[in-house]
Formats: sequence, structure tokens, C-alpha cells
Amino acid sequence: MARIPVLLAAWAALGLFAAGPAAAQDKPALTVGAIYVGSVNDYGYNRAMKDGLEEMKKAIPGLTLIAAENVPETAESERIMEGMIQQGARLIFATSFGHQQFAFNLAKTHPDVVFEHAGGWMQAANFGNFFGATQTAWYPMGVAAGKMTRSNTLGFVVGVPIGYAIGNVNAFEMGARSVNPQATTRVVVTGGWADKAKEAAAANALIDQGADVVTMHVDSPATIIQVVEQRQAYSIGFQSIEARQLAPNGWLTGLGFTWGPFMTATARSVIAGTFKPAMVRLGLGQGMMAVAPFGKAVPADVRELVTAAADRVAKGFNPFTGPVTDNTGAIRIKDGESWGGADMGKFDWYVDGVIGKAK
Amino acid sequence: MSAALIAGVVASSIASGTSLLYATLGEIVGERAGIVNLGLEGILLVGAATGFAVTAQTGDPEVGLAAAALAGAAVNLIFAYLVVGRRANQLATGLCLMFFGSGLSALIGRPFVGTLITGLPRLHLPGLGAGAAARLASYDILVYLAAPTAVLIWWLLFRTRWGLVVRAVGENPAVAYAAGRRPASAQYQALALAGLLGGIAGAHLSLALTLTWAEGMTAGRGFIAIALVIFARWNPLWAMAGALLFGGAEALQLQLQAAGADVSPFLMNMIPYLLTFLVLILWGWNRQSAAPAALGRTWFGVE
Repeated sequence: MARIPVLLAAWAALGLFAAGPAAAQDKPALTVGAIYVGSVNDYGYNRAMKDGLEEMKKAIPGLTLIAAENVPETAESERIMEGMIQQGARLIFATSFGHQQFAFNLAKTHPDVVFEHAGGWMQAANFGNFFGATQTAWYPMGVAAGKMTRSNTLGFVVGVPIGYAIGNVNAFEMGARSVNPQATTRVVVTGGWADKAKEAAAANALIDQGADVVTMHVDSPATIIQVVEQRQAYSIGFQSIEARQLAPNGWLTGLGFTWGPFMTATARSVIAGTFKPAMVRLGLGQGMMAVAPFGKAVPADVRELVTAAADRVAKGFNPFTGPVTDNTGAIRIKDGESWGGADMGKFDWYVDGVIGKAK
Repeated sequence: MSAALIAGVVASSIASGTSLLYATLGEIVGERAGIVNLGLEGILLVGAATGFAVTAQTGDPEVGLAAAALAGAAVNLIFAYLVVGRRANQLATGLCLMFFGSGLSALIGRPFVGTLITGLPRLHLPGLGAGAAARLASYDILVYLAAPTAVLIWWLLFRTRWGLVVRAVGENPAVAYAAGRRPASAQYQALALAGLLGGIAGAHLSLALTLTWAEGMTAGRGFIAIALVIFARWNPLWAMAGALLFGGAEALQLQLQAAGADVSPFLMNMIPYLLTFLVLILWGWNRQSAAPAALGRTWFGVE
């Protein structure tokens, strides 16, 4: 019976000797775990996350990436992340809003593992969160739509009218108005982030009502862009800049997340042991949002206008600077005030020029 | 209401009602044989995923459609084996089938998420102008075949010997058996046909309406179809009205939003479901007289 502890001790000693020098010599290779709520081939949110993680993997030699798709926003996600930690992951990207609590639970029991969550607010010594500042970035998209429309009617399909989504619509309309005072944006809410048949019907309804440029805030833009292309109207994408492949004729431009630089920097800080948790919200020009390449339908002068608007936003221009009136005529942001950061979740009204009800 | 709004609502009602009609017809055939299939949603999902996967592989949406129909029939035959062959409880088995279909469709569709496909071709009828009205004249083949299919199913059920046997089994399997018919055989056949129609219903969503596969993309349409069976009083011809009405409610609320109606979008999105409630309440009083008498009951043979 006494042999077992002896063997164990010998094994442990061997292990120490074997691991010690190696760890001292090489830079420790990092294993990163990532969970996606959907499929990475969605031309949307998950695709953008995957592209960012791949960029990080390329930038850091020796980095191992373990990823799982279609991870539900339930306790199941906690088990999957736990499995990744067992496989050696020391940095976990939990990429969907609903993964937050489960990642946070694990952060408490695994203080040696760093967690980064997309879109949430929780923080701990080993738990940070990040997201793109989407609202102001929608302004140049509006410029593109405002210049390209002939009917002066723009269409916007919204999955669920949360404050952030309404903010996107508002900045879009304000951008359109900045170049075309007649431009109005019609909004259709489908009531879910991924009801494909309804998204198709919503895009059709908008085009029936005269919209000739249609954009969207849903998980995957693929269905809407394809429907709009069939109806020979223009589309503007959101989430992944790769969606342009879906509309060779009608694609104008789009707004995509570029997570790569942030993810690379985070992985480097974990390797160096300098990770500090923060609530990171970055927009155009700050590395987290990018304007997608233009489609062939967009003439040079419009491209210049859109690029110029994107540069202004990158340099700090905030469209939500008072006075801003809502679509009933009431002043919502007073002269001299401006909304930013956490205010973006508070929109429950549409700006002047948007046709739709927020609640 | 403007002409564009009306044309848009009609065009969208027909487009979104089509898949509902095929699904409802399938459920009617099954229920006429005395079998309630709560797993219709799963059949639709398997049809949508299989149709999309096979179209992506072969590049031919017609082949995809055929594969979807066969897959729907195959999965429904598993259900048939359980509830007819093994005499399992229909409601519990149906719910299991829904989850099974949901999982199976995710498995089938997974490698094909984001694949670009050419959908079912649109057949353009000459004549109608531009805009919303033009949509009325450029549908895919499944839309044009939807009403004839309903008539065909009605004819099968009410004008053929096969249909008589199916209905007899649904009313009273013991009497059908005494008359020299085999209830199990009729039920297997009815459920195979029901699965075929369910598979087509799913394929219409992925191959014609959206050109996309996404997990759970049927979004409850299978359950709406089950409610529509009650609305249609188990009659395939009435199912056309039911599918149009429900498809119309969804189309109308989206068009009203696009037209800028002064109603909360949350309320708008409830309209189709409120309508379903209303129909079930209004029709409730004489449900018994229309439903097949042995619906949902397991027949254990004669002693």
C-alpha cells in the first residue's frame, strides 16, 4: 500500500523537473477558448467574431484556439467553457450577450483564467467586457443611403427594438438627412433576432412601401440581403463586412465588427501577465468597427462623402448632440447636451424622419 | 389603404401562407386517420434543412425539394412506427418528434449554414406591372401548386376508396377492421403522405422564401398549422382559407409597420397569434362534431 504515495511523489517530482525548465525557457504558449451562439458561417455576428479570433491566432505564433459553435445561452455554455479550461484554455471569449452570467460564474471558480465577454457589463479582476460602439458608426451608412436613394425612402428591419438597435436606426436616419433632407426611414420590427421567413417578408414589405435602400439589425443579414437583391433594390449590411458576397449588384456598403486588434492585444496581455479588466467600447477609427468595401453601384463622389463622414465619426463627431427632436416633434436631447456611451441603451424614441413607433 | 399596401399584403400572404398550407394539409391527412402529430414543427425543420443541404450539394433546387419531401416522409414514418406499430402515446411521441426533428435538422444543416444557393426558380406570368403588383405574378412552382394540392388532397380523402378507408380508421378503427380493412396500414400510408407534405412545407421556407438555412427557422409555423387544422375543420379546402388568413395577418402587420401605422410593433407582432386564439375560441363550440371520432386514441386491436 505504501508504494502508491511513493510513486505519486516520484511522478510529481519528475513532473516538476520536466515542466520547470521548459516554462522558463519558452514564452508560454497560450490556449484560447471561444464560444459562439450560432454558426460562424452566418455572414453576420458570429462570422465577425470568428474572423477576429483567426486574426489573433495568426498574429501570435504558438497560440492554440479551441472554439465551439451553437453554444446556447444556458448553463450548457458553462459546461462547455469548463471543458475548454480543462483542455488548458487560459483566456476565454464568451461572445454572446446571454453567456455573461455563466462566464462570470466560472471566473469566480477559476481566478487563473481570464474571461472577455462581448456586450455585457460585469467586471472582476479576471473578467472584462468589450463591444463595438455601433450607433455613431451607423451615421456614414445613412450618408450612403441618403445619397443613393431615388424614392427618398429607406427601409430598416429591426429584430427586437432594444435601445441600442433604435440608436442604430436614429444615427442612420441622421446621416441620411445630412445629405438628403427629404430622406425618411421606415422601420419594421420582426420580434426576433433570427425569424428568417419574417425577415424576408419584412424586407418585401419595406420595398412595397417604396424603400429602395434596405438595411437591418438582425443576427444574420443573409436572408434580407438576398431578398433585397432579388427585388433589385440596394442593401447595406451589418455585423460582418463579408456579407457583400450575397449581393453582387445591390450592395452599397456595410458596417462590420473588426474584433481582431482587440482580441490580439488581450491575448498578448494575458501572455505577458499584464491583463487588466475594462469595459471596452470602441467605434470607427478605434479598431472595433469598420466600413465594408463599397459595391459597384456606388459612384466615386458618394464613396468620398461616406468615407469623409466615417472619418468625422472616427475623430469624435457625435450625431447625438442637441438639439435632437424625435418623430413627434418633441425635443429629446437639449441644445448643448450630447448622448454617448451608456446612453445608447436608453433610446425609446425615433428621431425626426423615422417612420415607426419605438414602443 | 393604398393600392400598394393591398397588393403587398396579398402578395406576402400568398408567399407566407404557402408553407402553412402544405403543413396544414399534411396534418389534416394524418388526423383524418386518427393520429395527432404535435411533431409537425420537427418535420418542417427536417424538410427545410434537407432541402437546403441537398440543393447546396447538387445545385438543383428541384432535387432538394424532392429530398425534403422524402426526408419528411421518412421521419414521419418513424413517428408512425412508434404510435401505430408500438402504440405509444401520440401526444408525448409527437413532442419527442419535435425535439428530434429540431436536433436532426441542426445536424443536417450545420455544414451548409451560409452557403449560397439558387432557390426554386420564379415563374413569371406576363401582364402585371411593377412594384408590389409584379410580385403577384412571379412566384415559385410550390405557390402555384398549393391550391391544386389542396383540391387533390380533398379529392383523395373524400372521393376515393383510399380516402374512405383512411377516414373510417380515423372515425372508428374497430369498425374499419370489422369491414375487412387494416387500420395500421391506412395510418402508415396517411402519415407517409403527411410527412411528404410537411417536408415540402419546410423546403418552401428554405428554398423559396429565404434562401437560407438557420436553426429553428420555422419559428413555430408547425404549431400554427396544427391550430389551422381545427380552423379548417379537418377539410383541405378550408385549409386554403386558414393558411391565407394567417399568412395574411402576418403580412398585414409587417406591411402596416412599413406603411407607418401608429400602433406599437410589439402589439403588431402579436396579431397572428391573437387571431389564432380568436379562431380557436369561435370554433370551439362545435369542435367535437368536426373532429375525427378516434382522433388521438390508440387502437389496441380487437379482443
